[in-house]
Amino acid sequence: MADAGVEALTTFEQLLAGGLLAGLVFALVAVGLTLVYGVMDVVNFAHGEFLMLAMYATLGLALVGIGPLVGLPLVAIALFLFGVVIYRVFIRRLLAGPPEATVFGTFGLLVLLQGLAQSLFTGDFQSVPHPPFQGTLRLGAVALSQATLVEGIGALVLTGALFAFVEYTETGRAMRAVAEDRVAATLMGIDVQRVNALAFGIGAACVGAAGALLMLSFPVFPTAGASFALTAFVVVALGGFGSIQGALVAALLVGMLEVLGGYYLAPELKMVPVYVAYLAIVLLRPQGLLGRR
Amino acid sequence: MRWHLLALGAIVVLGAAAAFGLRDAVTLDLFFTLLLYAVLGQSWNWISGYAGNISFGHAIFFGCGAYASALCVTHGLSPWLAIPAGALVAALLALVTGFPTLALRGHYFSIATIAVAALVDAFVRTQPWLGRANGFELPIQSGWAALQFPDKGPYVLLALALFAIVQLATIALERSRLGYYLRALRANHAAAASVGIDERRWKLIAFAWSATMAAAAGVLYAQYTLFVDPPSTIALAISIDIALIGVVGGIGTLWGPAAGALVYVVLAKGVALRIGGTGKGYDLVIYGAIICLIAAWKPHGIVGTVVDALRRRRGAADIPPGATGTA
Amino acid sequence: MNAATSSGTAALLEVRGLSKRFGSLRALDGVDLDVAEGSLTGLIGPNGAGKSTAFSCIAGADKPTAGSVRFRGREIAGLAYHRVAALGIGRTYQIVQTFADMTVLEAVTTAALLRHPHLRDAVAYAQDVLAFAGLADKRYRLGRALTIADKKRLEVARALATDPSLLLLDEVMAGLTPSECHDAVGLLRRIIARGITVLMVEHVMEVLMPIADHIVVIAAGKTIFTGAASEAVRDPRVIEAYLGSPLEHREIAEHKP
Repeated sequence: MADAGVEALTTFEQLLAGGLLAGLVFALVAVGLTLVYGVMDVVNFAHGEFLMLAMYATLGLALVGIGPLVGLPLVAIALFLFGVVIYRVFIRRLLAGPPEATVFGTFGLLVLLQGLAQSLFTGDFQSVPHPPFQGTLRLGAVALSQATLVEGIGALVLTGALFAFVEYTETGRAMRAVAEDRVAATLMGIDVQRVNALAFGIGAACVGAAGALLMLSFPVFPTAGASFALTAFVVVALGGFGSIQGALVAALLVGMLEVLGGYYLAPELKMVPVYVAYLAIVLLRPQGLLGRR
Repeated sequence: MRWHLLALGAIVVLGAAAAFGLRDAVTLDLFFTLLLYAVLGQSWNWISGYAGNISFGHAIFFGCGAYASALCVTHGLSPWLAIPAGALVAALLALVTGFPTLALRGHYFSIATIAVAALVDAFVRTQPWLGRANGFELPIQSGWAALQFPDKGPYVLLALALFAIVQLATIALERSRLGYYLRALRANHAAAASVGIDERRWKLIAFAWSATMAAAAGVLYAQYTLFVDPPSTIALAISIDIALIGVVGGIGTLWGPAAGALVYVVLAKGVALRIGGTGKGYDLVIYGAIICLIAAWKPHGIVGTVVDALRRRRGAADIPPGATGTA
Repeated sequence: MNAATSSGTAALLEVRGLSKRFGSLRALDGVDLDVAEGSLTGLIGPNGAGKSTAFSCIAGADKPTAGSVRFRGREIAGLAYHRVAALGIGRTYQIVQTFADMTVLEAVTTAALLRHPHLRDAVAYAQDVLAFAGLADKRYRLGRALTIADKKRLEVARALATDPSLLLLDEVMAGLTPSECHDAVGLLRRIIARGITVLMVEHVMEVLMPIADHIVVIAAGKTIFTGAASEAVRDPRVIEAYLGSPLEHREIAEHKP
């Protein structure tokens, strides 16, 4: 009996550690999404497809001999530029239309990018050849795959860096000013279009980095980003749209719930506790955990 | 209104002629799909277009009908019974889930619909009496009593009848207290309350009717494909198809969903058939590009743009440039 | 001339100790006011005094933290917004809240549907209200395409279409040119002549003075004066409250529109 108890506890610790690490990756994906929402009130439904593109880019670099971690800054920069271009030629136009234009415009982008990936790279699952960090690390009773650990820690560092950027740099302050009040920010001489483009680029760079990290342990295929993005939408809503701290808290919560749900319910029901938690919290606090009304 | 009725009459006459005259199974299949999606798009349009609560979970109501049909037929009951039964279950589901969620604003509501739909999906997958993940294959029968036919003509007729009913209901909606109230709530919920509109009550009514229409389409779909499982009826992907059809045509307009369904079926499905793109992604590229173009250049959708243009020609609107979408 | 508030006449609206807090901010801290049936009562006060919050709490758009709001003797504080409207309190907003993509006629018809559930009757009633409000020739315009003056007029017409017995008007003159103000005063006189009781927030004292039966002044969330308009400008508490805010003082002194 005692043994069973200890074992159950160990399993639980194992799951918590796994959930925490998964949550950190969700946080990195979600922070990019919530930053864009905070600054320009746009939910980028193609966020997951940006992630998918980043994963393919990482794969491409790996095929020419540049590993995922070395490739990470390159992919992040590439996605940043991609994001800025998409903002300049497309999102900016959507913002001039009715509110629903940004919803279905980014959905169109989602369909388009998935289709492009399908036609260019086929629907096959593809992985980085000879990925690093294949071992297992034991911390006491908890065994973690090295790749997952690197993903979690990498996501934590990058999320922290983004947070510091928004909190402490001049550009970050400009972004917060635009998020607070667009008109006032314009009057203060802030170039809102530039800030928007920058925020969209940074949002894309977040999934650029996340995509490179995820290639350590995941295969890529045209809809690989969709499930991450779906979780990220829930994370962002749960934390409160536009709130970076909220997204962090919610991401860790969602990561845990997903891992626990997958273990104690069934793998295909892992999202059930996440959705139940979302509905329960949002019915009590319609603006999410840390969102503004 | 007279023009709307004339247009609907013309569609019914032409559609019926096609259902009797055409023998090409592929064309009839496209035609059936077009009408079915037009109905689903209109159903979505009631709550998401007129009332402005964008739903990404509408397929669960479609699923109510499809599963009602599967359950009726596999238990030896008439599939006709599935129409009221599926509609009733869908309406109840709409009331129960809408009561707490319809008060949520903007994206919080949309994500809640995804959550509710995912929970319904998970529920179905765990219930043996709902066929779990495997779903149901309906036994093959024939005739009006069994609501099954060896060729596609009668199915097109039934879809046409359902489409006509749904369009007539929407014409009535636009000329009713409910229709005015939904538009007012969508435009400004606080101002709507200030003139005595009870948001929850009227949106629940709209949501229940909307679910009813989707369920009717679900029954027809199940009888047509004779196969019902979660991915083909209640999955997120179906919900998103329905929502995209609604917005591409123009939300909150009478003919928007039909126009959106036309784009979806003719351009996405039709083109895929011609160039053999299914599975290669070309169909998605074309459809995605069309959605992007409409969003960026005609953000009020196809019909919305036409309505604006007509209004401008009548000189009734006097919309200053750039004033769209803001109070 | 204005014995309306004397104890003999029952007040249509009685507000006592109305308080509203947002976190640690006390927006309202004990507002008392009475509105006699058939009267026009002006509610004034410096910026940030809590006039619009008081309106929101009376109309049901906000729930007061404490205090009572009695309408026809019935307690309505905390009642749902739409219920208060159904009981017969109509309102306009300081910042206009139009139904942007509805025409003027559609917007007013929407309001008329409260008492006339059949669309045909509601449209007919809305046409009457639009004629009364002087908007008949603009009935097919979209709400968002109107001038500020017409948007404010539309808000009044929309509120009137719900057949209110009490109309709350929140700065319907603000931002209007003198000639538009003149038209608005004309509409106001017709509303009173129709027997509708009015409580209005107004900055333009010049407008308020000749038409208000009664003035209530609030400052820092409290009622500081109740009485005739001519007395209000001479009351030391009122002058002090306005002097505390130089801009407001200038407005009151210059009768600036």
